[in-house]
Amino acid sequence: MGKRKSLIKIKPKKYKTGDIVKVDFMVMHPMETGMRKDKKTGKYTPAEYITEVKFFFNDVLLTKMIIWEALSTNPLFTINFKVTGPGKLKVVFKDNKGEVTEKSKKIKPKG
Amino acid sequence: MQRRTFLKGFGAAVAVSAVVPSVVLADDKKPTSPNAMSYTTAVAAITGGKSVTVSSKVALKAPEIAENGAVVPVKVTVESPMTDKDYVKAIHILAKKNFNARCANVFLTPANGKAVFGTRIKLGGTQDVVALVELSDGSFISASQNVKVTIGGCG
Repeated sequence: MGKRKSLIKIKPKKYKTGDIVKVDFMVMHPMETGMRKDKKTGKYTPAEYITEVKFFFNDVLLTKMIIWEALSTNPLFTINFKVTGPGKLKVVFKDNKGEVTEKSKKIKPKG
Repeated sequence: MQRRTFLKGFGAAVAVSAVVPSVVLADDKKPTSPNAMSYTTAVAAITGGKSVTVSSKVALKAPEIAENGAVVPVKVTVESPMTDKDYVKAIHILAKKNFNARCANVFLTPANGKAVFGTRIKLGGTQDVVALVELSDGSFISASQNVKVTIGGCG
């Protein structure tokens, strides 16, 4: 299991069952394309980027993303999601080195 | 700019450009990406030869002028009821001139409630960013916007 820092933010903070909320998912990841030169050593830095991000709600697949090198450093993913009840939002992401990281957040609708 | 500061800066620039070539020659060859794919092949691979129509249903929000090509915010919103019968199957974001034209392929489900995808991408230079949307009936619609980049994000 990887130890990448990541963050799930849900906007707005207060929501009810049936609301459509915005989910921001941020990862601290270098997203190296492998084409960039290190200015100090003059050598190309090896590629390191996220290849797949999956969003699950109560273990049901919500959104699947296939990601390429072109995303920025510390990428941000924004999706919308309809709250159908209390549960757990889980995000699983994988990078090109096979490192898999999981992050989850509890969904607690009020009312 | 004063003449004195200009000359100082100019001298430094000449010195740097004189040093750089020797470093480049000593370095290994430029690597090629295994994912390199041109825009036309990427579109053909996604659509499978189907025609793509430009639609106003797809709203692509990207800056017209991006000062820094390394961080270009892009947001795609598609008008769709997102029911089990009629929903947006996938949103593909492509950059026409990047060595790998594909940026992100997002596969949505009706549980999303609203077809929205936002992210930040890298652009190697001034080019068109294209949002290619696949609907549940198998048809493709798209929208594009030109983004001017003053500093490239790849390299």
